[in-house]
Amino acid sequence: MFLADSDFQSIWLTIKLASSVTFILLILGTPVAWWLARSQSRLKGVIGAVVALPLVLPPSVLGFYMLLAMGPGGPMGYLTRTLGIGALPFTFWGLVLASVFYSLPFMVQPLQNAFESIGDRPLEVAASLGASPLDAFFTVALPLARPGFLTASILTFAHTVGEFGVVLMIGGNIPGVSRVASVQIYDHVEALEYAQAHHMAAVMLIFSFLVLLALYAWRPNALKMARRD
Amino acid sequence: MRLSMTVHKSFGAFTLDTDFSVLGQKVGIFGTSGSGKSTLVSMLAGLVKPDSGEIALDGKCLFSSAKRINLRPEQRRIAMVFQQHSLFPHLNVKNNLLYGFKRCLPEHRSIDFDTLVDALKLEGLLGRDVTNLSGGEKQRVALGRAILANPRLLLMDEPLSALDDSLRFQIIPYLKSVSEQFGIPYLFISHSLLEMRLMADQVLNVAGGRIIGCSTAEELARQRLGSSQVGYINLLVLGTPCMLGTLYAYPWGASRLLLSVGSERDSSMAELSSKDIILFKQHPEAISARNLLDCTVRSLFSSGRKVGVELDCTGNTLIAEVVQDAVNELSITPGSTIYAAVKASAFRMLPG
Repeated sequence: MFLADSDFQSIWLTIKLASSVTFILLILGTPVAWWLARSQSRLKGVIGAVVALPLVLPPSVLGFYMLLAMGPGGPMGYLTRTLGIGALPFTFWGLVLASVFYSLPFMVQPLQNAFESIGDRPLEVAASLGASPLDAFFTVALPLARPGFLTASILTFAHTVGEFGVVLMIGGNIPGVSRVASVQIYDHVEALEYAQAHHMAAVMLIFSFLVLLALYAWRPNALKMARRD
Repeated sequence: MRLSMTVHKSFGAFTLDTDFSVLGQKVGIFGTSGSGKSTLVSMLAGLVKPDSGEIALDGKCLFSSAKRINLRPEQRRIAMVFQQHSLFPHLNVKNNLLYGFKRCLPEHRSIDFDTLVDALKLEGLLGRDVTNLSGGEKQRVALGRAILANPRLLLMDEPLSALDDSLRFQIIPYLKSVSEQFGIPYLFISHSLLEMRLMADQVLNVAGGRIIGCSTAEELARQRLGSSQVGYINLLVLGTPCMLGTLYAYPWGASRLLLSVGSERDSSMAELSSKDIILFKQHPEAISARNLLDCTVRSLFSSGRKVGVELDCTGNTLIAEVVQDAVNELSITPGSTIYAAVKASAFRMLPG
């Protein structure tokens, strides 16, 4: 076998992290994207900018503030202590929480584009046929935005797989807990284990290429759409 | 249907102010683009909220700024058919048709699915994907979907505008007959006077965000004779033609008309503009026009700088237009006899 057990462990952890983040963001990102697509509120610009922040912030900056927030003196740290969950930094779920923030725009923006492209008319038709706003959302908006959901999910998953800076800041480098594939490669390089680094890097490269190939083959404009905003 | 709307709405520089009450089953809202007719129906459907006023349908208050009532669109039971069919692309024809039906309360369900499918000739389309339908089929499905929602009023917002002439005249009989068959009153919105005459018994004329008149479509067409570039369009119901040389000889009531265009269908409808009719006081000696009709003047009416002349051609009605000088010179008065000349090429057959 060209990959060591620790490599498999880091790949499994990466897949677990990316799947968890994608699932959580599907639940959290959908209402945010819907609100951004439909709202006329003055806060829309502010919320849109907050959502897009991880696109421009260095991961270390985001990771630093997340670490402070989750730490013993931070509001999130206080909350998790009060709820009896304990401290989140250097745990898998701390990593998930940080990744949710970091990958937020990769879920919200494609969904927002998908919802905006539906327009008002199908929802007006649904309303005139007796559908409540919630009914119209589930029976018209969601099915029509299905391509956007697939794009957003793939981008979020792939982006989480490629995380490094935020992982190091929040998760550190604990085997089986926070040592994801990108950190494992870094460890191999630091230890001058270039062959193992090559193997891991090749796995990551092939995975990333296949994800993008699938996305482009299915929807050539998906990435353009996702980054339009 | 008894509809009353007293509403005010401002959109930037545009203000819509209406105050009308109308009673009827087939009501038209006529106006040019930007006149406010679509805003008016959007407020009626609950898609746009008026700044102030009151809307009531059959005695039920849909909106009242004073009473703070604003029923949501889904609570109004007003179905809409739009210019673009707006079918749900993720549902097939059958599921599109059933969308409103499933959301209709059982006590309101008076229309049977199979009867409607039969009336609109949709049997063969039920399993089809809506993206593979023709424009006319899509509009029939959209109409069926709206009817199956069992609305108390059907709003048709320029439902024929996106269709070509041929499809338009195929759809019109469906629009009328389905509404009649299932007893659903409708409000038909269009900028086409011809569509109004075919679809509406009475017409609200909208301009600049105000209702400027309420009349029959026929009266409106006569009022607009002088200002319309195409004049008054006479709609002639013709019988089965026979060939006469190179021309089609169509029975028209007790008369016969020679047309350069035609088909061998049982009956047809043709358009003839009031501008294409030339009047003679006496029988002309020789004339190139192939139709010379012996008429009696029934009445005259003014429209702008033009005078409309309503002619009785052996029981058929024809409207011609002339200027006031011509009325004076030819001494055209009600009851006088006159000859109307029409070229064989002046007619336009309506598809359908």
